[in-house]
Amino acid sequence: MALQEICGLSDAPYMKSRTHFLKSTEEEMKNSTSNIENCYSLSAPPFENPMQNLNAIQQHGEKSGIKIDFDHGTTTLGFKYQGGVLLAVDSRATGGQFIGSQSMKKIVEINDYMLGTLAGGAADCVYWDRVLTQECRLHELRNKERISVAAASKIMANIAHEFKGMGLSMGMMLAGYDKRGPGLYYVDNDAQRTPGNVFSVGSGSIYAFGVLDSGYRWDLTDEEAQELGRRAIYHATFRDAYSGGIVRVYQVTKDGWINISNTDCMELHYKYAEEKK
Amino acid sequence: MSILAYNGGCVVAMRGKDCVAIATDHRFGVQAQTIDTDFEKVHQVAPKMFLGLVGLQTDILTVRERLAFRKKLYEIRENREMTPKVFSSMLSNFLYERRFGPYFIEPVIAGLDPKTSEPFICNMDLIGCPNVPDDFVVAGTCGEQLYGMCETLWKPDLEPDQLFEVISQSMINAFDRDAISGWGASVYIIEKDKITVKKLKTRMD
Amino acid sequence: MATERYSFSLTTFSPSGKLVQIEYALAAVAAGASSVGILASNGVVIATENKPKSTLYEEGTIHRVEMVAEHIGMVYSGMGPDYRLLVRNARKLAQNYFLTYKEPIPVVQLVQRVANLMQEYTQSGGVRPFGVSLLICGWDHQEERPYLFQCDPSGSYFAWKATAMGKNAVNGKTFLEKRYSDDLELDDAIYNAIKTLKESFEGKMTANHIEVGICDKTGFKRLDTATINDHLANI
Repeated sequence: MALQEICGLSDAPYMKSRTHFLKSTEEEMKNSTSNIENCYSLSAPPFENPMQNLNAIQQHGEKSGIKIDFDHGTTTLGFKYQGGVLLAVDSRATGGQFIGSQSMKKIVEINDYMLGTLAGGAADCVYWDRVLTQECRLHELRNKERISVAAASKIMANIAHEFKGMGLSMGMMLAGYDKRGPGLYYVDNDAQRTPGNVFSVGSGSIYAFGVLDSGYRWDLTDEEAQELGRRAIYHATFRDAYSGGIVRVYQVTKDGWINISNTDCMELHYKYAEEKK
Repeated sequence: MSILAYNGGCVVAMRGKDCVAIATDHRFGVQAQTIDTDFEKVHQVAPKMFLGLVGLQTDILTVRERLAFRKKLYEIRENREMTPKVFSSMLSNFLYERRFGPYFIEPVIAGLDPKTSEPFICNMDLIGCPNVPDDFVVAGTCGEQLYGMCETLWKPDLEPDQLFEVISQSMINAFDRDAISGWGASVYIIEKDKITVKKLKTRMD
Repeated sequence: MATERYSFSLTTFSPSGKLVQIEYALAAVAAGASSVGILASNGVVIATENKPKSTLYEEGTIHRVEMVAEHIGMVYSGMGPDYRLLVRNARKLAQNYFLTYKEPIPVVQLVQRVANLMQEYTQSGGVRPFGVSLLICGWDHQEERPYLFQCDPSGSYFAWKATAMGKNAVNGKTFLEKRYSDDLELDDAIYNAIKTLKESFEGKMTANHIEVGICDKTGFKRLDTATINDHLANI
């Protein structure tokens, strides 16, 4: 052994024990894929004071044209009524004025009793919804009961708070059914969290609200509620350039969520046009 | 956001065998908000000549009026019809006059020579650099998509009905990938003895 | 003379309704060297005398027949300096038109614009009318035919089949009336133009003492002395 030390051979990788070798690989793995182990551990931006400087960089990007221009634009809505919670969303993903997808799923099925909608940065929403799904499942395993909508939305709000000011872009609704009955929460990237009866989120929300508010009643029948959601989203897709594609309608009842319909906007437009005649 | 993309919209023109076609979408919007779905950007400026203008709507209207003025003056003074070639030269000069404060439009001209019936298509940038190819010209917020579609679908010597199919498919599939174009489309097929106008059924989102 | 009271300012009418300055300008034209123009079926010819006042003049340096554009040429009777200003302007007008429309200016259009310029000099202050009448000839690419126009100091213009201006214009025209026919070929027209000039030409006519310009669908050109000599030989 002494000879090895003198020759410096002990430093060579083939002289290392297997455990030592795994340890260093693990170390390396951890450094480059930190959020595999811990989903909250995201790489820090390569500059100091990310909270301030990220915004400065984005602002400079506005001028120079070199900016992060991720997928955006949406119309989503959700409301509670006597039959449970209804969610309706469009399916368009845009990057600038370019339509990246017409068939995106903007309702995430968190578990059999809870749904999340996404609006804002597509990547942010999809990633944190996935994390939320994991947290909800862990909660279920630890406590032998399903998580409440209130608790799930609080997890989401906490995540948003953790990264507040770092440029996350999310506007989501969580809809579900728990022991308190139907639940509907709004959570966004400012870590704002509110329960409510009627929400609409996204660039087309103003148009959706127009239809929604004029047609909303607590005692809507299931069919009426579904049609109201569908119509509101359709009208938003018509007026808003960044919304379109397929109108997806989901409903959450005490038995869990069901996907009511997925209808192409074109089909809806000509159907409604026909009815108007 | 570019001011040329403030209102949205697109135009494409193609050359066929003894005919030309020009197509336009119907959207008039203010950024993301769709205001009108009846706004055609192609105008008939002579019996066999069409002018497509995309860009800032207020400039579209102004340029259209001012060109009509100049064209009428020419036709009264010379007592003859303006050919598409002369019209595009005039337009090029008109646009360059505003080299340092341009109209935010991109024009497309399609027509047949009133005497020889020779097909003519042409487009320009906003300060009047003319481009007169023998296949197709595009303009508008989904210009890239239109180039891709035209490049794949266009062939030489298309008959009028084939040309209609090609230009319609090019236009629809191009603006279905653009958030601020679409909401209906019109196609004009210009032949020696007739002009056919067709409205296309398209997505309305 | 009563008319003199109305000749200081050319923008003042005389009581009889005349602008006497214009009449004086026409008098200058009538005193000028004669020029003729004849339309043929396949072209048009313009010709003029260019006789030097002294044998000491270097011949063939100053021209009276000038090209305005590829397909347009002109000649004059009257005052040389005024003519050269008009030639310069006419050339500019023709190029301006081409710049705007990428198409050669139609002869009628050029004539109209030159005439308009001449008219301006009958209604502006501090100027006098041009002391020239012009013969503008050219090929019309749209109609595929030649044209011959006369432009007067007043700004009025006419299309001719054949005409003469300057000294002996009356005799020249009478001569042309007898000689003209619609199916004239360009060569016949050149022959007749030279013949008309010869009617009033003082002394022996040589190729150096006349100028001839012809225009057909290939464009306008001034004939060189050798070619004119060939034509003279036929007479």
